Amino acid sequence: MFFKLLIRNPQAVIGMSIMAFFIVISLAAPIIAPYDPEARVGLPHEAPSSEHLFGTSRMGRDVFSQVLYAGQISITVGITAGLITTFIALATGLSAGYFGGRIDEVITFATNVILVLPQLPLLLVLAAFLGEVSPALIAFIIGVTSWAWGSRVIRSQTLALREKEFIKAAELIGEPARRIIFIELLPNLISIIGSGFIGAVIYAVMTQATLEFIGLGDPTSISWGTMLYHAQTSSAIYVGAWWDLLVPCVAISLFGASLALLNFAVDEVANPKLRAKGALRRYKRMLKRGEVKA
Amino acid sequence: MQFFARRLSFYLVAFLIAATINFFLPRIMPGDPLAIMFGPQMARMSPETIDAMRDTFGFSDAPLIQQYFQYVVNVFQWDLGVSTKFFPKPVSEVLADGLVWTLFLVGSSTIISFLLGSILGLLAAWFRGSIFDSLATPGALVMQSIPSVVICLVALIIFGIGLNWLPTGYGYDTSLDPQWTFEFAGSVLKHSILPIGTLVVFQMAGFLIPMRANMINLLGEDYITMGRAKGLSGSRVMFTYGARNALLPSMTTLAMALGFVVGGSFITEVVFNYPGIGYIMFQAILARDYPLVQGHMLIFTMVMLTANFLADLLYVVLDPRVRHGGEA
Repeated sequence: MFFKLLIRNPQAVIGMSIMAFFIVISLAAPIIAPYDPEARVGLPHEAPSSEHLFGTSRMGRDVFSQVLYAGQISITVGITAGLITTFIALATGLSAGYFGGRIDEVITFATNVILVLPQLPLLLVLAAFLGEVSPALIAFIIGVTSWAWGSRVIRSQTLALREKEFIKAAELIGEPARRIIFIELLPNLISIIGSGFIGAVIYAVMTQATLEFIGLGDPTSISWGTMLYHAQTSSAIYVGAWWDLLVPCVAISLFGASLALLNFAVDEVANPKLRAKGALRRYKRMLKRGEVKA
Repeated sequence: MQFFARRLSFYLVAFLIAATINFFLPRIMPGDPLAIMFGPQMARMSPETIDAMRDTFGFSDAPLIQQYFQYVVNVFQWDLGVSTKFFPKPVSEVLADGLVWTLFLVGSSTIISFLLGSILGLLAAWFRGSIFDSLATPGALVMQSIPSVVICLVALIIFGIGLNWLPTGYGYDTSLDPQWTFEFAGSVLKHSILPIGTLVVFQMAGFLIPMRANMINLLGEDYITMGRAKGLSGSRVMFTYGARNALLPSMTTLAMALGFVVGGSFITEVVFNYPGIGYIMFQAILARDYPLVQGHMLIFTMVMLTANFLADLLYVVLDPRVRHGGEA
């Protein structure tokens, strides 16, 4: 049912296709990429040509091959950080909402504190002290610092669900807390968890690019962020090598946009009030043709 | 009053936690924390300065808890040590210079995007299902998911370098003296168009999307139907009946958004070499000037907490339920 609604939603279809496209081409990078991404295969800053589809970088590396391989790392970091974020958000949000009392107080306090601390400066301080942080470490620090918002949303939804009759009934017949949480509550939270996860992936991809762009990442790894970093430090735009900067920019933007579209669609599918759009349009069309009266 | 006392004590604790993170970071890294903090710059500093720095950050042989206490007292006195990059300027002074610029950028772009985003969100909800709605809403979402690095770089390539319409760096024309003249103000304004513009693009969706969702939920309420049934004009129902209530949750978003903008403004300042604290932070990171990096986090925590407090105040003004002592 859920999937069927998703398929009928044009935004979801566009989003999913772009996302699938990116995942496939990054996974198939070893087959598609014409050159080794780390090898010097041309002159510095060669313009795009049939030989080098997206030109070459300052180091004479093939930008097209690089962007494919970079996708592997950037997408992996995004998904890993998203999983960590979602897991912590789910664990804290569910326990705070379901158990209440002391547990709730402690978790809510921690959540509120993290929400008022500035995220990026906190990440910058962490990354600066850690030195040149590897992609795995980036995924980890993004994951453990960005769960607060999701946790708050899941907690409030759990609180609302807790008051519903089916939960009360489950408690009355003596179902253990474990069963109530995983069998009764969790399925009702799926859409929130799903959109929270997609949001976390978007955030992680963006943040990774930001951290690496300013030079806090490991410059020897190949990701969209380090591509931006190398392009910027070799002043690519000032010497007119726009492709060097624009290609990773477009990759990040398209991937982020595809996830955003998907997220928008998930929201619409999960919230019938927001979904009324298609029906409204049909209604207006019918009005125009005089099939119904206002 | 009790509401404010509770919020203020919460902010105090939050600030203390930020300071605590700063305190422990150099200490949990492997190696000598003093060497980590001041690293290669130590050779350039006189023994007296090193002693003073040791004092500020609480590096001593005393037990950890005493070191911590010493550090916290210094932070609350706004003694953040000396910058190693802008030696011998104290960190607090370096940051104060940049803060004006950053507040100018963040403040004006937030106000512009709040107004623009709320109005567009309102219209999208009102004309739900129209072409405007199905373009503006997903469009805003897509904009929001593009990192500010990309937005800034693309704006720089197009308007700064490609078309050469606008200056590409710094806060004002450096050949002018910073004075209260029209020429200088004009130069500041001209240099701020690109940074503020990119920040607005980056932020607007954050106001448009919630506004639209709130408004759609409100449009089903009885009092809206009632307003229409009374024969009130559409715009009156839209603004005084709908918008006023839909705006309330946006206020909390406003405070939350500021945290996000802080990130955005950092990148904007780096890309456009804008002399705010973001750019100073960037230079501090490049030079591994840890006292300055830490001071940056503390000052941004202060900005965030102040913004949250202002949001609390606004909430009280706008929501009578909170004003009359109820729970928020």
